[in-house]
Amino acid sequence: MSVVKQKDEKKEWYLLGIVTGLGITMKHLLVNLFNKKKMITLNYPEEKYEYSPRFKGNHVLTVKKDGSIRCTACMLCATNCPAECITIKASEHPDAQVEKYPISYEIDILRCVFCGFCEEACPVDAVRLGPEWQTPGLNGSNFTYDINHLAYRPALKGGVHSVVDDQDRHKAGI
Amino acid sequence: MLKCTINGVALEVKPGTTIIEAMTQNAQRIAHYCWHPGLSVAGVCRLCMVEIQGNPRVQIACNTVITEGMVINNTSDKVKDAVKWGLDFHLINHPLDCPVCDQAGECGLQDQYMEYGQYDSEMAEKKQKKHKVVDLGPTVVLDSERCILCSRCVRFTDEVSKTNELGIFNRGDHAEIGTHAGKKLDNKYSLNTVDICPVGALTSKDFRFKQRVWYLKDAETVCNGCSTGCNVKVYFNKEGLFRIKPVYNAEVNGHWMCDEGRDTYKFVNIGARMTKAHKNGGSSAWVETHAGAMAKEVGLTLKAAAGDQVGLVLTGQHTVEEYESIVSTFINTFKTKNIFHWVNNKESFEAFDGILLRGDKNPNTKGLLQVLEKHGVSATWAQLEEGVKSKKIKHLVVVGPEAAHVYPDLDAKMQFFMTAENVVIMSAAKLPVVEEYKGSNKISTIPLKTFIEKDGTFVNFQGRAQKIKKVTTVVSEALTVSEAATLMAGQNLEIHVATSRELLMPENVRADQVHLESRKKNEFVFNRGRL
Repeated sequence: MSVVKQKDEKKEWYLLGIVTGLGITMKHLLVNLFNKKKMITLNYPEEKYEYSPRFKGNHVLTVKKDGSIRCTACMLCATNCPAECITIKASEHPDAQVEKYPISYEIDILRCVFCGFCEEACPVDAVRLGPEWQTPGLNGSNFTYDINHLAYRPALKGGVHSVVDDQDRHKAGI
Repeated sequence: MLKCTINGVALEVKPGTTIIEAMTQNAQRIAHYCWHPGLSVAGVCRLCMVEIQGNPRVQIACNTVITEGMVINNTSDKVKDAVKWGLDFHLINHPLDCPVCDQAGECGLQDQYMEYGQYDSEMAEKKQKKHKVVDLGPTVVLDSERCILCSRCVRFTDEVSKTNELGIFNRGDHAEIGTHAGKKLDNKYSLNTVDICPVGALTSKDFRFKQRVWYLKDAETVCNGCSTGCNVKVYFNKEGLFRIKPVYNAEVNGHWMCDEGRDTYKFVNIGARMTKAHKNGGSSAWVETHAGAMAKEVGLTLKAAAGDQVGLVLTGQHTVEEYESIVSTFINTFKTKNIFHWVNNKESFEAFDGILLRGDKNPNTKGLLQVLEKHGVSATWAQLEEGVKSKKIKHLVVVGPEAAHVYPDLDAKMQFFMTAENVVIMSAAKLPVVEEYKGSNKISTIPLKTFIEKDGTFVNFQGRAQKIKKVTTVVSEALTVSEAATLMAGQNLEIHVATSRELLMPENVRADQVHLESRKKNEFVFNRGRL
């Protein structure tokens, strides 16, 4: 890369710039010291920021009213996923009305870019991006989330209900 | 010949040709469900509407024979409107099953809906519920709700397989496909009904829910299930092969193929394959080695032995080119004509079921016989038995079958080969006999490639030579028989590194251009060819 240096009289007087900068720093320091409420940073582990409900955090697999998994294993999320982090294995469900369901649904969360395309692609509201964002783990811990984690982790308190219900659909004659 | 004009293109057709035949032969697009070139005309789907000049109403193309000077058109708004409303009627009771339906991605309804439909349903009534997941037989599952009653499958069992298992029962919107009481859809061609089903009503139990079709790439090859040599399309991705479908070839298989042939992909996948070469390490150790190195070592052993101590057993499952190279290697390098043809099922060899299936379960018996004849090899099986028994043949190279399950005498024959002093088993299939003898200091193995992984020629029962092309690689370390023969003869396999000029690569592509694994997968998703 070539940079064209322009000779400028003003730039020779750099000391003035430095003093102005230090002045701004001092101003913020004093404001923060004597007026803590106006401080724009958070004391992180104690204070946490409230994100908007549209925030895209860790995935949640929704469940039906009976608590079984909503996903039909149509693979649209896996097809749409730009990071290719979703792996689904489909299987035949004993109930003919359900027909197809995932026996394994895995998200490699370290590959995930949280774009939300899976959520958009899902035709049955089976996968959502939830509000969780603090999911640290020790080196070597499992970052490939399976159905058990995605749908039934303790934080979800028994599972999030899907808004698309097959029974309702059948009653409506769809 | 009759002159006619279709969509502004002047054509000459044979008398008796229907409009839809003329259109498909000339690569014109026309919507249709019930018409199939291999079946009789039913005219039930009412979707192949065309406008004929001088005729006030649109007509169905499948049942209208072309007359002299006919001017036909299926691109006008009138036709599109007719198709659209025809499609609306088809979709009245069709469930919204696309996410769980195996046909999604190659479905006639989806295709036509995207081309002509794209509207909301105007039905106020509820959808008619029918049976789901009906077990029709050992191979096929029926979903009555998805069926549009095109009757292709019924006509198939009536006209092609002639087993008459299927029928349409009840009337009106209660009508559904089913098997006659107490009967199962159980014939050797039943999976063709799945192929010709334009929607997802009939699905194959074998393929059901294994993969979405848009993850699969396809390529044409020749089935190696029997000596008929049906032209087929295999569907695969980087995990392996998933299904096989027939490709039209009027001279060989028409539009169909048998259910047995559809299972031929199973022995190609890595679970059923011999993946590594092994040798006996002297002190009865079983040492893994590279296939090429093993072939070279075998070559040295055979060269050191006298010509009449060496024997070669060939099966009819490899290509003509491979036979040519291994037979000439044995004759010229190892100076032997002890080359034997292993026939698997002599009794039923000539059997034929009247449609496609033949008793000779090898794709290339004719090719093998031709090569043997050309080289003047006339050794008989009795000579081999005699030679092994009298310890005259000490080194036996067995080029075993890919499809081991069609060799009922596999175990007996293998046990017989093991009576020789040194046995080299070249095989694509995992063989139980290898497990049994693996420490015994007399057996070594070389993994082979299957018909999916190599170029070559199969000669079918008619004597028709059919070229096959390499589709994909499953076991990368495996050798083709010709590669193994070249290495045995002491030559090297040259790896020719093509320059960018040879590859016709644009000059501005960097030499160190990275080809990401993810890009390759995207190719499976986006460039998987026409449906």
